[in-house]
Amino acid sequence: MARYGMLINTKKCVGCFACRLACQMKNELEVKESFIHYEDVEKGKFPRVYAEVVPMQCMHCEDAPCQTVCPTHATYTTDDGVVLVEEERCIGCKYCMAVCPYHARVQIESTGVIEKCRFCYENGEVGKPSCVSTCISKARIFGDLDDPESEISKAIVAHNALPLAGNLTESKIFYVR
Amino acid sequence: ASPDEQGKGSEVSRGFTLCNGCSSKCGLVCTVKGGRLWTVEGHKDHPYAKGTACGRAHGVAQMAYSASRITTPLRKTEDGSFVPCTWDEAFAEIGERVKKIQAESGPESIAMIQDPRPSGKYYSKRFINALGSANLYTHGCACNLSKESGLTEVIGTGKYSTDFGKAKMVMFVGRSYGDGIRPSSVQSVAAAADANCRVVLVDPRLNNTGIFATDWVPIVPGGDLAFLLGMCNVLIEEDLYNHEFIENETVGFDEFAAQCKEYTPEWAEGICGVSADRIRELARAMAKAAPAASIEPSWRAVNGCSYANSFETARAFCAVNALLGSFGQKGGALLTSTPSFGDLDPEKFPKVPKPKVKRVGDAEYPLVLDSMGSAAVAAASGKVKAFFFYNSNGARGYGSPKMWTKALEDAELVVTIDIQMSETAMQSDFVLPECSYIERMEVPEALGGKKHAVAMRLPVIDRIHPETKSCDEIFAGLAEACGVGKYFGFSVEELSEAQLNTVGTSVAEMREKGVVALPDPNFEYKVPKFKTKSGKLELSNEKVGATGMNPVISYIPRKVMPGEGEFFVIGGKQSIHSHTMTLPVESLNAISREYDMERIWMATADAEKLGIETGDLVEVYNDNHSDKVAVKVTERIMPGVLFVPSHYGGKSKDLSLAYGYGIDMSDYLDGDFEPHVGSIMSQEVAVKVRKVQA
Amino acid sequence: MVWGPLIAGYLFLAGAAAGAYLTAVLVERLDPEARAMRFAGRILGLVLLGIGLVMLMIDAEAGLKNPLRFIYLVMNPESVMTLGVYFICVFMAVDFATCVLEFLKKPVPGALTIVGSVFAFAVAAYTGFLLGVVNDYPLWNNSVLPILFVASALTAGLAAVSLVGMFAERAAFEKMALLKQIHIGLAVLEGVALFALCAIVYSNSVEGAMAVSSMLTGSYAGLFWVGIVAVGLVAPLAIAVAELKSENASESGFGLALGAAGEVGALAGSFCLRLIVVLAAVPLILV
Ligand SMILES: Nc1nc2c(c(=O)[nH]1)N[C@H]1C(S)=C(S)[C@@H](COP(=O)(O)OP(=O)(O)OC[C@H]3O[C@@H](n4cnc5c(=O)[nH]c(N)nc54)[C@H](O)[C@@H]3O)O[C@H]1N2
Ligand SMILES: Nc1nc2c(c(=O)[nH]1)N[C@H]1C(S)=C(S)[C@@H](COP(=O)(O)OP(=O)(O)OC[C@H]3O[C@@H](n4cnc5c(=O)[nH]c(N)nc54)[C@H](O)[C@@H]3O)O[C@H]1N2
Ligand code: SF4
Ligand code: SF4
Ligand code: SF4
Ligand code: SF4
Ligand code: SF4
Ligand SMILES: [Mo]
Repeated sequence: MARYGMLINTKKCVGCFACRLACQMKNELEVKESFIHYEDVEKGKFPRVYAEVVPMQCMHCEDAPCQTVCPTHATYTTDDGVVLVEEERCIGCKYCMAVCPYHARVQIESTGVIEKCRFCYENGEVGKPSCVSTCISKARIFGDLDDPESEISKAIVAHNALPLAGNLTESKIFYVR
Repeated sequence: ASPDEQGKGSEVSRGFTLCNGCSSKCGLVCTVKGGRLWTVEGHKDHPYAKGTACGRAHGVAQMAYSASRITTPLRKTEDGSFVPCTWDEAFAEIGERVKKIQAESGPESIAMIQDPRPSGKYYSKRFINALGSANLYTHGCACNLSKESGLTEVIGTGKYSTDFGKAKMVMFVGRSYGDGIRPSSVQSVAAAADANCRVVLVDPRLNNTGIFATDWVPIVPGGDLAFLLGMCNVLIEEDLYNHEFIENETVGFDEFAAQCKEYTPEWAEGICGVSADRIRELARAMAKAAPAASIEPSWRAVNGCSYANSFETARAFCAVNALLGSFGQKGGALLTSTPSFGDLDPEKFPKVPKPKVKRVGDAEYPLVLDSMGSAAVAAASGKVKAFFFYNSNGARGYGSPKMWTKALEDAELVVTIDIQMSETAMQSDFVLPECSYIERMEVPEALGGKKHAVAMRLPVIDRIHPETKSCDEIFAGLAEACGVGKYFGFSVEELSEAQLNTVGTSVAEMREKGVVALPDPNFEYKVPKFKTKSGKLELSNEKVGATGMNPVISYIPRKVMPGEGEFFVIGGKQSIHSHTMTLPVESLNAISREYDMERIWMATADAEKLGIETGDLVEVYNDNHSDKVAVKVTERIMPGVLFVPSHYGGKSKDLSLAYGYGIDMSDYLDGDFEPHVGSIMSQEVAVKVRKVQA
Repeated sequence: MVWGPLIAGYLFLAGAAAGAYLTAVLVERLDPEARAMRFAGRILGLVLLGIGLVMLMIDAEAGLKNPLRFIYLVMNPESVMTLGVYFICVFMAVDFATCVLEFLKKPVPGALTIVGSVFAFAVAAYTGFLLGVVNDYPLWNNSVLPILFVASALTAGLAAVSLVGMFAERAAFEKMALLKQIHIGLAVLEGVALFALCAIVYSNSVEGAMAVSSMLTGSYAGLFWVGIVAVGLVAPLAIAVAELKSENASESGFGLALGAAGEVGALAGSFCLRLIVVLAAVPLILV
């Protein structure tokens, strides 16, 4: 069984929002609903300044606090490691939203369901993540973390990519920073 | 079907088109679910998309479904409001008025202004020339007119490109791939950074290309020419230049070298604010990396249209690259070729005779690029009685809006072909609604570079609003009404087929592939053939000299200098917006609002002096205009400079998402032009700032 | 902001309901004849919680649109929210049974009261832990908050029942000095807990400091100083102390009005506390 994850290389990200917009279209979200958000980092003083954009979305935590607190078991993890929300069970209590350390949860206006990045899961399997395919600087890689030969596994090793918050939640999105 | 009816059902199909989000026109692959556009992806074979699509591509495609679409032709009534009319009525009345103007003031009083799109540039040119007028203008005067004019006088063409794949050092001077986006450019600089290329950003602010840069060189806005000439001085005085290239491939070096003696790095530092030491270091490093080192050609901000010295700055770009000997070399500055279609059947596609009278403005601005002209100069001249706009918001975006308003008020006829009520449409007598680009076919576009290809726009979804027409249909209708219909007796599909056949492909193949490769032009690394008068790279140029300017590339100061308490103002693109057109797009506007992107940037040091914090509202004012906007306080900009993102401050009430949101630099302009060239000098502005509210 | 006034209202009402029930238990001990107060406490336990649950359901939009989904709420015993549902179910069942017995004028078995008290306390405490386990918000994720919430819940319940007592059973109510003493004790405890909360949260993280600043000097300062401190703590405390000191002051109409004002203040303060804790919390940013 695969264990899917993503690599985001902030050393390549220009903060162009293409990933957010592609994701919105793919997942048929309203314009104010977004599975991806961005943190701007600015360090140093003029003229020695470092600036960086950090795109964030559901990290598909192995140790997912949102799943722990979800009273209805609407939030669950698939066998291939993708954290999903079963719409038919979600009551919209927002508990998952409160506990997600990455603020990855989004309320869907039309249904009230609290959603998030699904790794483009479609028809019971991961699809081709739109945020990855549109990324204008190829800052994103998606693939199987358990396969040492996959592009993502190699890139994680090559760049020493790490989850955003250490092993706080055993996140499956790895960052190059 | 209405937009609401579309989208029912879930059948998924695929279609190819070219994005209309900006002039790059990247190839796109669209999926359509139940008749409604679902997703957009970059076409992997399109040289600008390289398989990816920028944020605007996704947003602009959705304009098809926008509530702000114009859905029928509109005519302005006495009281200034618009009422719907039929196409027949619109065509008939426009035709009558055009004929009257032709008779009374001559065809040379009619002008066509357009931002070149595949069908647009073909049909608009054909139409205006058929009327007997040479007055065809692009958006160039507000974009890259000075650059292309300047380059043309030195290297014989308005374009060169950086060979990122092999470059060791690249310098960007007022260009940001990470903001003024073309996906392939971002990919190339990303790859170069991966390959440890030294990437230098010369920019008053640390823009979003910074993530790939090794150096950020903050510079006084408009001081770039001094900076470049200072580098030339170092290259020549320290004998770091490429003798072989200079001796064999250039003319005017001796005069240039003599001239450069005075441009010491110390002199340059006084103007551009970059230390003499840094100028020396950069020049030496470039020389060391040469010929795999060059200055990227840039686009708008510095050498495009911004300053009284933009044309000269463009020439100086070439001078540096010439001294480095990087033209045509691996990792240097390349001149590549573009394919063209062959001749078509003259019966079916008759040639339009050349207009007799010269284009308005060309005499006064002799260095203007032939393929662009200056629309703003034409408007200010008072000579144009009828304006046609196609895919252009010229009255807001091409220089002082006040100047444009006067020109359009004085004109006898203004016709705008658009998809939404732009500021220009608002000031027109007739507004003709085009269908959105994903609903129409356009003539194919030939793509140059190291490899050649052809791509085209094909309809992806059915037409949503039945009373909208495509570019070709609109121009054919106008031409018929104006009595020149004989030049338009073919459909866009027939024209496309004929053009494609001349390069060995067909509409059917385009439908299947979206992008088709053309025979390999067999690009080779070698000094290119410069298509100048002398056949060499011209460091001194007769045509320039004939205007009264120094024929030799030399220093010209910027025009407006901020006084005590005043700020320089620079503009710049934001990744999710194109000029004035995307702010009304719901999904893009939502991002601006979520991330407060309309805010102007101010240096921390300046903000402290004025007691301003991030989020505070300030008044930005000069003699021409005053407006309020919130501030972002940042270390990413040089003190004394304000950065005003380019896309805000909409004035069309019909586009409510854009209306009054943020400020527009154009409003602060004096409305004059770069001498001899006719660009709008979009950044010759100084303003004061006052805090109004925390 | 994840949650808003609806959830603050729910947290307040659930706490007040539990507090009212517990007050009723105490009243039963102090004066078996004080039937109105006792009955009121039990009824309030049901009614306040019922209203609170409605608010909760209105806030849970996806459930509101598909009410059958609320059944799934019992699915995850690992979730404090599911635990809360268990507590509420037991508590409400016991309280309901108690009310029926009370209504039928039948004796309420001691065991039932013990179970009810345990679960009432659990309900009061769970509202604190519900927020307390949210690691992400320093204002919530600390050991003081549950204490503060419990104290505030008991105060609110006490105040609600006292109000009833004041008007319906004045003589009996006046004799229960212990109620006022507890009231005072709780107010002091709350004050100390509030101070501790601010001090700890302020010093432990930037986001915590931001939250506390917004409470003390920023956009929530009015709500904090007027709503929680002045109206909710200081005034009721002063009034209660004054009442305890002057034996017969409360027999006057003025005394009654003052006493009632104190109780209303305590209730308002208890709500303001939930509101501010819900609204002012600032999440940690991990970048
Ligand atoms: N997102 C987006 N991308 C686009 C477009 C768009 O509308 N939106 N349009 C396309 C078109 S038509 C164009 S023309 C290009 C424009 O692309 P660019 O030429 O890259 O355009 P700008 O963003 O205007 O300016 C680039 C940088 O120049 C800096 N700058 C401003 N003034 C000065 C100066 O005096 N000196 C120096 N050294 N730097 C200065 C700005 O801070 C900015 O970071 O983008 C193309 N791509
Ligand atoms: N304020 C301001 N002025 C600017 C710039 C800026 O960023 N801000 N940028 C400058 C630069 S670099 C350039 S290149 C120029 C660009 O100048 P323009 O090409 O004029 O660009 P826009 O201002 O975006 O206006 C394009 C117009 O075309 C319309 N349009 C969009 N799609 C279609 C279509 O399918 N058919 C038709 N017929 N119309 C369509 C839009 O609604 C809009 O009114 O502007 C220059 N001037
Ligand atoms: S990132 Fe947030 S939403 Fe995603 S699995 Fe982790 S805790 Fe849950
Ligand atoms: S909002 Fe839905 S997914 Fe989130 S915790 Fe509540 S029931 Fe679970
Ligand atoms: S993986 Fe799919 S769902 Fe997740 S952010 Fe990317 S596009 Fe959106
Ligand atoms: S598409 Fe790529 S470059 Fe653009 S914001 Fe997303 S991750 Fe960054
Ligand atoms: S750069 Fe972006 S907006 Fe411009 S044509 Fe390409 S995809 Fe479209
Ligand atoms: Mo442009």
